Amino acid sequence: MNISDNKLEEYLARLESGESLEACLAGLPEEEAALLKKAVTLNAIAESAPMPKGLADQRRKLLQAAKEKNMTPSKSVSLFNKPRSRWFFPVALTGSAFVIFTCMVIFSLMAGMLGLRWFNQSRDVVALEAPNPQSARIQELRGLVDVLNDSGAWETAEAGQVLEAGQSIRTGKLSSVALGFFDGSRTRLGPEAEMSITELDAQNTGPRVIVLMQNLGESQHDVAKSSDPASRYEVYTPSGMGAAKGTSFRVFVTVALFVRFVVDEGAVAVTNLDSTVIVVAGQTTIIVAGHTPTHPIFRIEGEGVVEQTGSVWHIAGRTFRTGSNTSIVGNPQVGDVVAFQARMVRDGSPILDRVVLLEDDATESRFSFSGTVDSVTDTEWTIAGKAVQVDDKAGIDAGIAVGDIVEVKGRITDDDELLATDIRLIETNEDDLPFNFVGVINTMGADEWIISGTTIVVTENTNIEAGLVAGDVVQVRGRIRDGDWLAKSIVLADDDDRKFAITGTVDNFDPWTVDGIEFETDDRTRIDDDIEVGDRVKVEGRILEDGTWMAGSIELLEDQEPRKFNFTGLVGSMNPWEVGGVSFTTDESTSIDSLIVMGDEVRVKGVIQPDGVWLAKSIERLEDDEEDLGCLDFSTVVREAGVNQIVLQDWQVVQLNNNIEVEGQINVATVIVVSGCTQGNGSFTITHIIVIYQLDLLPVINKPPSQNDNDSDDDD
Amino acid sequence: MESLTFVRETKFIPASSSLALISLAQQGDQGAIGALYDAHCRAVFLYFHARLGHQQTAEDLTGEVFRRMLTSLSAYHTGGMPFRAWLFRIAHNLLVDQYRRESGRELIPLTNVENVGDEAVDPVSAVEQKLTMEYAYQALSELEPSQRDVLALRFLSELSLKETALAMNKTEDAVKALQRRGLMALRLSLGMVK
Repeated sequence: MNISDNKLEEYLARLESGESLEACLAGLPEEEAALLKKAVTLNAIAESAPMPKGLADQRRKLLQAAKEKNMTPSKSVSLFNKPRSRWFFPVALTGSAFVIFTCMVIFSLMAGMLGLRWFNQSRDVVALEAPNPQSARIQELRGLVDVLNDSGAWETAEAGQVLEAGQSIRTGKLSSVALGFFDGSRTRLGPEAEMSITELDAQNTGPRVIVLMQNLGESQHDVAKSSDPASRYEVYTPSGMGAAKGTSFRVFVTVALFVRFVVDEGAVAVTNLDSTVIVVAGQTTIIVAGHTPTHPIFRIEGEGVVEQTGSVWHIAGRTFRTGSNTSIVGNPQVGDVVAFQARMVRDGSPILDRVVLLEDDATESRFSFSGTVDSVTDTEWTIAGKAVQVDDKAGIDAGIAVGDIVEVKGRITDDDELLATDIRLIETNEDDLPFNFVGVINTMGADEWIISGTTIVVTENTNIEAGLVAGDVVQVRGRIRDGDWLAKSIVLADDDDRKFAITGTVDNFDPWTVDGIEFETDDRTRIDDDIEVGDRVKVEGRILEDGTWMAGSIELLEDQEPRKFNFTGLVGSMNPWEVGGVSFTTDESTSIDSLIVMGDEVRVKGVIQPDGVWLAKSIERLEDDEEDLGCLDFSTVVREAGVNQIVLQDWQVVQLNNNIEVEGQINVATVIVVSGCTQGNGSFTITHIIVIYQLDLLPVINKPPSQNDNDSDDDD
Repeated sequence: MESLTFVRETKFIPASSSLALISLAQQGDQGAIGALYDAHCRAVFLYFHARLGHQQTAEDLTGEVFRRMLTSLSAYHTGGMPFRAWLFRIAHNLLVDQYRRESGRELIPLTNVENVGDEAVDPVSAVEQKLTMEYAYQALSELEPSQRDVLALRFLSELSLKETALAMNKTEDAVKALQRRGLMALRLSLGMVK
């Protein structure tokens, strides 16, 4: 083979990767340059060639043939549905190797693991598409969504409503909505977002035109592929616009007109002030009002446990800097599980763009129990015989008196004291079931309010905070009596306090429904064993930004023994038992992990008996070392591919075994996404490798960033 | 022309998504089958059009490729050949069959490229478009069939080097050589056409 064949292919690969023809031609001999130009000419002709009408007829014939051949009815199919991998184990990279591994990462593709759960929740929803190319249909409506009517007033939107060019739509807190277009494209708006349809002709054949103006908030765009070169899918913002063809991307617009484009698949051309950058999958660019888009940079996204907060965060075993534009949602603390998005800045260090609290129920020395209030002072309560410290941060129901039965939650301090974070009154009337949640006021009637879709009965005894209006996010507490949700209080909620708690009867498992309220679970939801339909349970969780009720725990209630305790701590003594400074007893029915030794961290569950004795039902050793700190996906290029091992671009060797699931054929120069989790001991375990695409040549490897080469611009 | 950027959009469809789509199509889901057609029909059409120079035949053969895809999809293994390369192997084989059938018969001249595109397109630009495509197709027609195959697959249908090699059942080195020689011949041919 002539060496020029390889050289030509190398330059073609550079063109394919987006490098300009001018740059590639620079210094190239005339002969090679001429060939390169011919290749570009040929490709440009192909790009601009219109789609023949006859292909639509062929499509119809194909689908007719498919229909006759079998088969199953059509579902709503998205090119962007991505199977969510679950983690297995080993191939452990050491902590330092992990750092090296991540530093060389080219980019990260993480559409399935974003913190923005409201996007993911609705991905698979089969929805009615728009009736014609000049309209968009409202789908997946959650919470409060308004449409601007012809007279300039905002009216409540309805699912299935049709919008046309010139109309605007906005979402309230904890709300979201999707717009389905005729060509299959879909736009989703997150909470507190506003968008206008500027131009709309979303035809399937011929040029598709969808032009949107996003004034505020977050949006996700799944753009149907269109082969017509005249097709446009453009999202304008107050600080620049993005133009895409078949692709998937997100747009963030803040009140300060700080705009961020994040591309999950395909490529988007982002323009402001006559300057355009091409943002490809895995990259992000930002636009500060009055400036041109920043150079696109690859990003990292994932979920993990917070180990440190402040100007420098540690999440999932990694270190991140924060900047002036870092957005932190939900006030996550050490031990909480968060979703995060970060960018690699020029010095190779990641800077956080966004952190979203997912779960605030860390296992670190938490406790909960219920019992009778024995005494109350400003700093200490005695509940079920136990001293519980309180401070001004504790959330305490009003009107609790000695003799009431309460539920107390909190954490065990380093001094082995019980510090309450919540003390809630449990009604003495056993026929009533307490509820407590945060939601959005949909309607406010004289006797009934609808809050996040739940009908709440208000009476003259309901304590209602003055000045509430529809759309406010409120905390509602009360009791369920004979199926009616009787509100005891409705007050404005802290934005960071989007919790709910339901005590009721299980109606259904799929979807989970308790006392008529549907909620969702995920792999972090702790669910007691042996729950059956009809059982009484207590559900606690958080209301996500899209209004989804996501359960953190579902606890089976035993009617005969409502007073339970549940806490974690270090074993101080085993005979008699003392954990985290709390003494309790055991009996022959107590399940005790045989591996427990002094000093282990354990979880203790049990009941408070009528005589006040704390009887443990189970003592479970917490396996810190096996606990995932978080999971990440990274993309990289394969340098060498063997049967049992591959060598990544940074020379990191990965041994392939049955514990790593590989999707696709791995070859030299294959771009892959490597998925794995950081273990409690700092090691990184690869669980999944997905082939993304095949490069023709191995890319040129840049020198690893120097630690001294600091970048002072955190928004770079 | 030199300012154009050469980007393969289809490269960014994650393999995992494609695999999910293929899996659905294998189960007979019409939406998935339609999505596969939408994703690849243009590239297949351009390949046939470049090789045969006749739009109607190219359309018909494009439809036939996907009908053959439908009948053999259940046998496709996602862990083996990339889907696009597999699809173009079908197209390549179909083209060979077409040549066998057409053997001894005169092929329709390339200058009869007609009726391309949407009627709503501006007539002036449509004519310019047609002329540009005619130039390209006529220039391609001057090339040796293997070179024409490689250039059509690489630059019109936008297959990768590896996919092209798999579709043509040749080594990547052979494709590189054909690619270089084809571009050299195209340069001469386009010069003569102009």
